[in-house]
Amino acid sequence: MKSSRWAKVLRLPEVSSFGILCLVVVAFVLGNRDFLSPLNISNMLAFLPELGIIALAMTLLLTAGEFDLSVGAVFALCPVTMALLVQNAGMSFTLALLIGFLIAVAVGLINGLLVTKIGISSFLVTLSMLFVVRGVALYATQGFPLKSLEVDNAFVNLLVGNAYIGPFRIYASFWWFIAFVALAIYVLDYSKAGNWISAVGSNRDAAVARGVPADRVKIWLFVITSVAAGFAGLISALRISSASPVAGTNYELEVIAMVVVGGTALMGGRGTIFGTLVGIFMLRIIRNGIVMVGVPGLAYNIFVGAIILVMLVMHALMQRRHGRA
Amino acid sequence: MAADILRIAHLHKHFGGLHALNDVSLVVREGEVLALLGDNGAGKSTLIKTISGVHRPDSGEIFVRDRQVTIRSARDAIELGIETIHQDTSLAPDLSIARNLFLGREPTHMSWLGVLAPMRRDEIAAAATQLLGRVGITKRLDAAAPVRMLSGGERQSIAISRAMQFAAKVIILDEPTNNLGVEETNGVLRFIREVRDAGHSVVLVTHNLHHVFQVADRAVVMRQGQIVAGFDIALSSMVEVEAAITGADVAELLAAGAAAQGGR
Repeated sequence: MKSSRWAKVLRLPEVSSFGILCLVVVAFVLGNRDFLSPLNISNMLAFLPELGIIALAMTLLLTAGEFDLSVGAVFALCPVTMALLVQNAGMSFTLALLIGFLIAVAVGLINGLLVTKIGISSFLVTLSMLFVVRGVALYATQGFPLKSLEVDNAFVNLLVGNAYIGPFRIYASFWWFIAFVALAIYVLDYSKAGNWISAVGSNRDAAVARGVPADRVKIWLFVITSVAAGFAGLISALRISSASPVAGTNYELEVIAMVVVGGTALMGGRGTIFGTLVGIFMLRIIRNGIVMVGVPGLAYNIFVGAIILVMLVMHALMQRRHGRA
Repeated sequence: MAADILRIAHLHKHFGGLHALNDVSLVVREGEVLALLGDNGAGKSTLIKTISGVHRPDSGEIFVRDRQVTIRSARDAIELGIETIHQDTSLAPDLSIARNLFLGREPTHMSWLGVLAPMRRDEIAAAATQLLGRVGITKRLDAAAPVRMLSGGERQSIAISRAMQFAAKVIILDEPTNNLGVEETNGVLRFIREVRDAGHSVVLVTHNLHHVFQVADRAVVMRQGQIVAGFDIALSSMVEVEAAITGADVAELLAAGAAAQGGR
């Protein structure tokens, strides 16, 4: 039996996830007409880039066969460091920002080096790093959110300014997110680096035998993921004018959920930015829609977990039916 | 006689107390299939890993076309025209055939962008399709299909084709017919002959003497880290070669064979 091109496309996990996403949207619209109101859409788009940017980087890292549990903590530490330096040490905003990013780079570098050179699994390395980084953020702030973060800087507008497009209030972070999506698609699907990332995650030995610097690829991806987390944390803190040491708690799991729901393989080799995009929208839309249709907010996680499981079961069943080992 | 393409002289390698390679000297000639034989632990795999840049020899010399070389990494070996193909480690299963073919040496536009340069996707797809037209050992393969959809024999052929594509002078095949069915094995053996006829030299590491007698021109036998015998396949018998592998006496083997027949 010869399968047509369409059948092949329909079989892709990201496509079935996209189908479920459409169903979820329809269900929410039926549940509450205001779900598609400009105000609600604007609200969703305001939050979305913060986890979304981390999810894009995490997609690349997962494709290379590793993951990072320390992103939620870096999400907090980066803006906390910056705010402390500005407020308590009187440092200029720009310099403080730079130091905040350097910390993210350092965390990513340590993660990458421990995983590749010492050979500890990324689960263990980044789990430990999650405690270390979160601990530093808590200790540095003595556990309290910092006082309101008022910074007057042109760069801030570039990060979190907003403007109305028709009835929609769009934050600058959304445009950053779009740009990162384009960049991630380019890197993974079109550039030489993307071929290396997929190959390293698929069969590291084969990649190394062909001269691909597998360790360097992974270290770079750890750094990029960590910096993406710091950047997202910064955007978030500037948007709400507050840096909190407990910001981003559990984000690591939500981000990984977004990525795998989209169809990227948890064990590496296969990554899809389109799928991650579906995953990002899925989790954000569920979080928003569930409240809109009147489900108690505390029941949110039940639905998230259930929908993730449904999708993963679907992916697995399709693979079993059509895949060959 | 054909020129020597690869020459190894007096190679030694120790692993702790184990003398894994003991004064190994060997030549691979242009356009021949050389079988490398030996029991498990005889040193075949150490020898191959040394030639392909995984291990560094303790002493000894390697010449490619009479020029002495140092092989420090897989990349060095590939650049010298030596490609090693292992059964399971040569392809990335999630990547398409086309992407596997060019892995590590992707042609790009705007190469000043380094690893972020865009791949020449059209060129890659075209070259892959052309290559597959030559290979197809059991059926037509789609260059865009992921390697995980291929059978073992097809994967072997893809890996070998890749080495040919990049003009490898010496292609080392490590147990290429392991775990393959009869038909696929024949396909791979036929393909090895084609590779030789195209002017490449092949080093075939195998346990299967029948395969050796089907495709090899010469054979060398290793035992306990040393090369103990060399054969011109056209002038040798399987019994002789087998005796060299196990270290048994040929006369003894022949006698045993005669006894077995006589007893029937």
